[in-house]
Amino acid sequence: MVKRALAIITLLLIGFWLAKGLVGVPFGEDKMLVGEYYLENVKEQTGAVNAVTAVVVNYRGFDTLGEVTVLFIASTGVGALLWRRKKERSAKSEGSVVLTAGAKMLLPFIMLFGAYIFVHGHLTPGGGFPGGATVATAFLMLYLAFKEYEIDHKVFEPLEGLAGVGYVTVGLIGLAIGGYFLFDWIWQTWQFGHENIGRLFSAGFIPIIYTLIGIKVGTELTGIVDNMIKEEPKGGGQ
Amino acid sequence: MSQYAALLIALPLMGAFLIPILKKISRSAIMPFLAFVTLVQTGIAAWVFKEVYTTGKPIIIMAGGFRPPVGINLYIGHFASLFVFIVALVSFLMVIFSMKSIKVEPKDKYAMLFLLLMLGATGMIATGDIFNLFVFMEITAISAYALTAYNKSGEASDAAMKYIILGGIGSSFFLVGIALLYGSLGTLNLAQIGQLAQLMDPTVAQVALGLIVLGLAVEAEIFPLNAWAPDAYQAAPHPITTMFSAFVVKASLYAMARILYLTSAVSSWGNVLNLLIILGTLTVIIGELSALRQTNVKRMFAYSSIAQVGFIAVGFALGTQAGVNASVFHMVNHAIVKALMFLAVGYVALELGGVSLEDFRGLGKRMPLTAFAITVGAISIIGIPLFNVFWSKMQLVMAALEAGKTGVIALILGASLVEAVYYIRLIHTMWFEGEGEKIGEDTLLGTIMLLLVALVIIIGIYPDAVWQIVQKAGKDIFDVASYVKNVPLMGVSP
Repeated sequence: MVKRALAIITLLLIGFWLAKGLVGVPFGEDKMLVGEYYLENVKEQTGAVNAVTAVVVNYRGFDTLGEVTVLFIASTGVGALLWRRKKERSAKSEGSVVLTAGAKMLLPFIMLFGAYIFVHGHLTPGGGFPGGATVATAFLMLYLAFKEYEIDHKVFEPLEGLAGVGYVTVGLIGLAIGGYFLFDWIWQTWQFGHENIGRLFSAGFIPIIYTLIGIKVGTELTGIVDNMIKEEPKGGGQ
Repeated sequence: MSQYAALLIALPLMGAFLIPILKKISRSAIMPFLAFVTLVQTGIAAWVFKEVYTTGKPIIIMAGGFRPPVGINLYIGHFASLFVFIVALVSFLMVIFSMKSIKVEPKDKYAMLFLLLMLGATGMIATGDIFNLFVFMEITAISAYALTAYNKSGEASDAAMKYIILGGIGSSFFLVGIALLYGSLGTLNLAQIGQLAQLMDPTVAQVALGLIVLGLAVEAEIFPLNAWAPDAYQAAPHPITTMFSAFVVKASLYAMARILYLTSAVSSWGNVLNLLIILGTLTVIIGELSALRQTNVKRMFAYSSIAQVGFIAVGFALGTQAGVNASVFHMVNHAIVKALMFLAVGYVALELGGVSLEDFRGLGKRMPLTAFAITVGAISIIGIPLFNVFWSKMQLVMAALEAGKTGVIALILGASLVEAVYYIRLIHTMWFEGEGEKIGEDTLLGTIMLLLVALVIIIGIYPDAVWQIVQKAGKDIFDVASYVKNVPLMGVSP
């Protein structure tokens, strides 16, 4: 009781302190130093209609590379901690016919929609991360609907690595051609798709990077699910 | 040409992403590949270090070719080039140690996490953008969580759990602090924050900086958010413990100092410094007193490491050029000494299977080289003349004297006394107690230890060369005006 009361009082004090700070912040007012610059120059400098995408992949692409890495670490970390020589699915019972048939029918639609999201990152809301998560949902559905289902590890792990290598390579090509790491060489040097703004083949390397991120996020989240859903076989040991 | 320094970030990333592919080709090639990548990284870092110190100009890397503050820039100045080199070198030495000490599977995942821990620390030190700093801090922290639990013992999972919860809370504090800064200034670039700092509302600045200090305190092992550290140091694989102590802590301390000094124009700045000085003092006192009671030697070194972190924080909190210089010097010295000591204690654990004080009886007869390495490290940490830490403690005392903080001087001298008690007890146990057969020691690890011992003694006898370098690095943090001037900000202004 005393403990709870003290916790509540402390939280109130912290809340008051934060509120005092927040009062002085002019949120929502016209205080966008860099924000305005992005909105004014985004089309001409990156070719993207979606300003968020341009900021995330072009202007602040370094952060996105970092975020992709964070997800990679999460997946690698889960893999390292749940590592066992032999692992099996632990599902007890088969799903109902409605579930399995429904899953089979839904699968291509979810996959297609995921791919659509990450390919159209420069045009519509979304991008690599939501698209990849959608693709991973399709695999999660397979895992939940079928007792025996397991992804092909020979393909999945190298694919995850390759997508990451692809991202860094695109950045390094930028360093070689344009002189800067992560430089958008397709848009700024080749000027590919300059008359095409607002259509699919535009926006320089954004669709390429988002496709790579989509593949990477999709394989990583699936890998995490795969690791967490499996157990050591009973009585088998190592 | 200087843009190629971006390889410092690109290379470890590329290495980590290549490992899952390499694993399919040959499992036994993973550790040599790791050694190769860290060696190349050390080479690039050495080149960058030479470049920055010969020209005297920082290398500004503009990612994507956009000028800051629109794009993200890396600022590899005197400080960053020095510490990026230390990070790469310590990582390379620890890969060699890992080849002997990591027997738990899966090694491919270990190699990936190892590279990304190195990448995270490098990025934190090099970046010039506050949100990018957060991203690199997350990379460091999350790979550290996974590596802490890597041994998969109950103890390790426990330590990692504690770490992950505290770390999560710390990062959210930090993120809220960034949001407040961005809300009031409209920019995320560190140089521009420094330029506009005096426009900030003092209350907002105080809350934001307080949150940022508390958020970074988890990674920087500052009281009261360092409870995870002794457990994590004890349970993590030995090379990883060394990396935590040698550079992960330093990266967070640096980030804290960098942000604090950039906002020194804010009128409520003194309050934040006082907060840091109080936290730093408590860190020293609690670290030293806990170290005194330990019977597990690795844990004892962990508490001692925490106490040294407290010294560094107090030095930064003095708010003077001399204090910053002394802190940076102590960071360099502590990195060398703790790399040596954790390497040695890890090697003892590997050979003898335990690190309680009992295991160290007669170590001088059983593993003379390792015992010698620990002895040199211990004597140096206490702050005995002719060893490197003496000079940095001396500089800290002089800086405190100059700033008129006599309490800090008493703290440093008192803490050194406590250090002397527990380290001399350890030295006594190693050399004057117990008997034992000689164990053949590994030549490669022996060479690394002797190399680090030589470094400790050379800096101890000729501190001037390093002191020159450190003064430049300290100026890099303290001299905000030239930091802002060096970043080619484009004309987006209020």
